[in-house]
Amino acid sequence: MSRIVITGIGAISGSGHNPATIVDELLAGHSALAPIESWDATNWPAAIAAAVKDYNGGKLLGDRKLLKLVRRSDVFGIYAGAQAIAQSGLDSYRESLDEAAVIDFTDQTGCYVGSGGGAFEVNYDFFPLMAEAGDSLPQFGKELSNMVNPMWLLRSLPNNVLCHVGIRHQLKGPNGCITNHVTSGMLAIIEGAWALRENDAQRIVSIGHDAPIEPQSLNYMDKVGLIANDDLRPFDTEHNGCVLGEGAGCLVLETEASAAQRGAQVLGEYLGGADASEGEGLFAVRADGDGLTRTIRAALKDAGIQASDVGMIVAHGNGTIQSDASEAHALKTVFGSNMPPVTSFKWASGHLFAAAGIFDVAVGLEAIRRGVVPGIANLQKLANDCEGLNVSNQTRAPQSDVLLVLCRGFAGTNAAVLLRALK
Amino acid sequence: MSKKRRVAITGIGLVTPAGCDVATTWARIKEAKSCAAGPITIFDASGFSTRIAAEVKEFDQLPQIDDLKSLKYASRAHRLALAAADQAMADAGIRPDENDADRWGCVVGAGMMTVDHTEIEAVQKAAAPEGDLIPDRLLDLPVANDVMAFSRSLSTAGLSLLLKRYGIRGYGSTVHTACASGGQAIGTALRVIRRGIADRVLTGGFDSMISPVGLSGFCLLSAVSPDNDTPERASRPFDATRNGFVLGEGAGFLVLEDWDAAVARGAKIYAELAGEGNSLSAYRITDSHPSGDGPIQAMRRAMADADATLADVTYLNAHGTSTLMNDRSECAAVNAVFGDRAKEVAVSSTKSVTGHLIAAAGAVEAAICALAVRDGIMPPTANLQQLDPDCDVDVIHGVARQKRIKVALSNSLGFGGSNNCLAFRHPADTAELVAAGH
Repeated sequence: MSRIVITGIGAISGSGHNPATIVDELLAGHSALAPIESWDATNWPAAIAAAVKDYNGGKLLGDRKLLKLVRRSDVFGIYAGAQAIAQSGLDSYRESLDEAAVIDFTDQTGCYVGSGGGAFEVNYDFFPLMAEAGDSLPQFGKELSNMVNPMWLLRSLPNNVLCHVGIRHQLKGPNGCITNHVTSGMLAIIEGAWALRENDAQRIVSIGHDAPIEPQSLNYMDKVGLIANDDLRPFDTEHNGCVLGEGAGCLVLETEASAAQRGAQVLGEYLGGADASEGEGLFAVRADGDGLTRTIRAALKDAGIQASDVGMIVAHGNGTIQSDASEAHALKTVFGSNMPPVTSFKWASGHLFAAAGIFDVAVGLEAIRRGVVPGIANLQKLANDCEGLNVSNQTRAPQSDVLLVLCRGFAGTNAAVLLRALK
Repeated sequence: MSKKRRVAITGIGLVTPAGCDVATTWARIKEAKSCAAGPITIFDASGFSTRIAAEVKEFDQLPQIDDLKSLKYASRAHRLALAAADQAMADAGIRPDENDADRWGCVVGAGMMTVDHTEIEAVQKAAAPEGDLIPDRLLDLPVANDVMAFSRSLSTAGLSLLLKRYGIRGYGSTVHTACASGGQAIGTALRVIRRGIADRVLTGGFDSMISPVGLSGFCLLSAVSPDNDTPERASRPFDATRNGFVLGEGAGFLVLEDWDAAVARGAKIYAELAGEGNSLSAYRITDSHPSGDGPIQAMRRAMADADATLADVTYLNAHGTSTLMNDRSECAAVNAVFGDRAKEVAVSSTKSVTGHLIAAAGAVEAAICALAVRDGIMPPTANLQQLDPDCDVDVIHGVARQKRIKVALSNSLGFGGSNNCLAFRHPADTAELVAAGH
């Protein structure tokens, strides 16, 4: 099995528009959490979020015409994709090839996307029509084409990023669009890496994107008890929920042979990954961290390394009491007293949902390549049931060049990825 | 690379417009008298440009599910999924137990519309009476505070119901590549077993877009047939007069098993799921390339993955939506892939009977291919009267053909350009290959 290397990374969140800036912000202790501005939320019990700053869709896309075909979440995915692909040099290399070689190159380059996107927001486009039609569905049908954008369905497809990144960068190989809520982006890495291992492709662009900051989602999540009203404090005794973020992450993965042939700069190596479910319901989380424990162990096995090889862990750390405690339990079960430095980025960028895992991988790789484990800046006192977790509010050094990133979602889903930083 | 683990199909479940179980659906598909479509009854569609669809008629008569707690957050599509998955698990005759639950996976293709129209309506009435959302009004609106409505809306709600119902604790994932979703879910499940991270996977697709907003999306694109007066004839893939697809709903599920494990427990095996091919057209969001570029790679990859030759392929269950462009481009792809042998591959589109089940289509058609392989029967394409000269392939019409199938292929081609092709092999041929050390 050929080694799988990483030749490009991209990320965008409230903390910045690229991995380098985001790591700078983390190291400086800056949080992007701020009062919500996309609607007047002064009366809302929980009214903070980590929105992307200086948002200009047309500019981020680099193609203003595309804006009418995509939504905010898609903009982030396409932007992060373009960023990582530019770093990897895939486009410029393809353009240097002759016609026959281009066909082979594009057929051997695939794309996996973890897609979030709104269950509710897409329906808001129908509100004017429904207001017009009143209670009459026949009227709804008759006025439909006069009142709703004919491209509505295409703008609403969960697989939009896959489609548009594929067209722009000519990715014609194996592909997938994963809509598994929070673990989607990380599964896009794992599935992409398997496509390389299975020799179905030589290069894979993996992306995760989401933009959940909208009123109905926030209200529901607050009612379920998941949202913090002032701050997101991973593993802290004051932790009381998570805060919505938005953005995207991207990795360009390729076989070592492909990267060598192109003379591409190698940023890291993909070592392994895994996914497992607890299967106890939509919001249920086992206190013993069983699903996550099995996931970490399966990822270590997949990578062919030992727990003691891991030098830095980016935890899910979403700031909810149940998730933090069970995650700490799982980490203690696997690593015992030899736990490498653990951190989480959500205190600064909020929870990026479908993009969360892949965002943490991209930003985590940037950090470990710089030789830093950014601290959880707002950590003051570890929660009782998180005792023994090796976290800090200070910047530390990784214990080795191996990075473990964790991701957990609704339906008791867990995913983990292991990388080695290369300089 | 080490030898690929082989994968057996040992359980099938179907809830489609053609029937609420495997036997009824398969009988109606083999007969292919007409499309199981009619005027929409789920809601008042009388004002829409298209007012017909292929509905699951006996929805209210689906078997009761003894898990009232979970059912509280099951949408119509989830109910279809649970019914089909229950059938597939019973058919396979095996369930996860506490020793092997983490060796079971579940991969589903789920539809994109997850909010019931009554809920959209309730939010609009109270919080957007003039068309613009007034967020503050959500704060004490019952529907906007209903945890069950939120649960239903989550993209992983269907997966969660299935994991919990059967106690599956291994690999779990949900995919959506529009009309290719079901095929891609099953392809992913195949790979999960081959990788050795699961021994058995429950996999399939479920969807119901027969709702005001769901139907609207297709009406706005003029993708659905407007033949409101002749619903039973509206879906006519490859016919020169075709003018769009008929929206359907339903669910298809398979139980996939490591071949050796299935043989060891004496399971009945419908077919070997022998390969998957997957490509991206990277052309346009809805249009398919007239040359068949995209589907061509998917079919070639599926055959290569299955270690099958062109001569091995007996039957192709086409994506065949009955839109002008899809059928033409798909047939161009068949001719490009098979060349001189193209006429030796029998082709049919069972969407002529079931309508287009969107995210469930690929899963239902995978089940149909498994049944076709088991019975040596290739179902015809209903409603074909005058073959489009641009669909120059051997389309089965009139009556089903009886022939032993060595390898069957099933295409699923989605909006957004994702193409999926699955390959199925006769189990006796697989047994021979295994005996010969392949």
